[in-house]
Amino acid sequence: MVSMDPQIWIAAFLTLAATSYAFRDNKAFKFAENTFIGVAAGHQIVMGVKNIRDYGWSHLMQGEMIYIVVFLLGVMLYARYHKEYYWLYRYPIAFLVGNGVGISIRAGIHSDFTLQIAETASPLIASTAMGSINNIITFVGVITALSHFIFTYEGMHKDTLGWGPKIGRWMILLALGASFGNTVMTRFGMYQGRVIFLLREWLQIIA
Amino acid sequence: MSIWEKLMSIPREVIMALVFIAILIPALNPLGLPLMVGSMSQAWYDTVDNMPAGSIVLFDIGYGSGGYPSLGPGNIAAFHQMFENDLRIVMMATDLEGSMMYPLIMAGVKPESNYGAVYGEDYVFLGYIAGTQTAMAGVLGDLHALASADYQGTSLSSLPLAAEVGGAEDFDIVAYMTTAGGTAEGWVYQAYSQYDRPILGGCLSMMTTSIKPYYDSGQMLGLMDGIKGAADLEFLTGHAGDAIISSDILSFTQTLVLIFILIGNVAFWMQKGGGK
Repeated sequence: MVSMDPQIWIAAFLTLAATSYAFRDNKAFKFAENTFIGVAAGHQIVMGVKNIRDYGWSHLMQGEMIYIVVFLLGVMLYARYHKEYYWLYRYPIAFLVGNGVGISIRAGIHSDFTLQIAETASPLIASTAMGSINNIITFVGVITALSHFIFTYEGMHKDTLGWGPKIGRWMILLALGASFGNTVMTRFGMYQGRVIFLLREWLQIIA
Repeated sequence: MSIWEKLMSIPREVIMALVFIAILIPALNPLGLPLMVGSMSQAWYDTVDNMPAGSIVLFDIGYGSGGYPSLGPGNIAAFHQMFENDLRIVMMATDLEGSMMYPLIMAGVKPESNYGAVYGEDYVFLGYIAGTQTAMAGVLGDLHALASADYQGTSLSSLPLAAEVGGAEDFDIVAYMTTAGGTAEGWVYQAYSQYDRPILGGCLSMMTTSIKPYYDSGQMLGLMDGIKGAADLEFLTGHAGDAIISSDILSFTQTLVLIFILIGNVAFWMQKGGGK
């Protein structure tokens, strides 16, 4: 029994239209693509206005006058489109960049640098055989992959020393392979989600 | 044209049709292939299972409609476990479409009818907060200075759960599911590095290779690896859903991809070796 819900039919049509691109570009795909862009842009505007209202305007209305500065910076972003006063937009951009860097840089160094080095420098011999193998692979992988990017000393890529960067390149390729495999799985995961929707919600032939 | 040349140039329509068939067969006739639970998903499950009742979770729905097929089923299973264990959840969205995913997830969990949960007391949804790491820093720093109402405009002070949490120290754990690398890293930066809060993460499989180092270095207590991790969580929580159906399909389609990769490589080497 096929669904009688018009919402399901619209979703089914757009799913089929969007995935039809896998075969050839066509008008149904273009329609789905343009519809998606229109809906996404509309949704983005609504959510943007809602955020300005909830996290900016409401504070201003409660008497927090510092938010005048925030709104002023926001308006200055639009100066970019003015031929004479375009330079004004640099101030809010500078504020955004400074704020973003300030919020993340300390934690970024701690998480991505200090703790990762500490983890890599852990003893090679672990409590289990697999743990030891993992630690050795990680240690060899990090050292050789880093050596692949040493370009200031030419001898690094020649003769016996050259084996380090070569192994490092293989390590990088293995990581890229793992990434590619995961990407394929992700894409199929998304596609099969829509196929399950078509079979269950639209055609109602699976439970 | 030799057989190897033909194999090197299979039309994509043929490949897509075979992929579609490989999805249809297990979808129509589930094979029930064995599921091996991954250690990262098991760690997620054990962490939540060991949390005392009443603990407060900050949960970020950091994905939209594109990520829902991969992350939605795992999100539903995760919420089932959290409500079963009487955890309280403060939800927010760092993704623009996250607020559209919230009703879909809640329709799958049905916290009121399944667990007797009450909105405002057992769970709250703050809605989408723009700014990614700035939003995270705001919520963890001083929630009430940032927001005064939930996603429906109800005052936070009138919602007991929201009124109880002020900042990072009030959250017993931070969990997220996201399709954005910046969001996944952002929670580690802001919640773990800045406030020393334990973290559970969920991401697309294609992000796992870049997010897993945070799990390996102990900065995250559990990691849900895309649709595979979602199937693990559904299995562990006993709430079978779309992800378990998908695991059969994934096994089929991944096998097909492997066959195509093998055919492509064999044909390439045979051509190169003059085996035309």
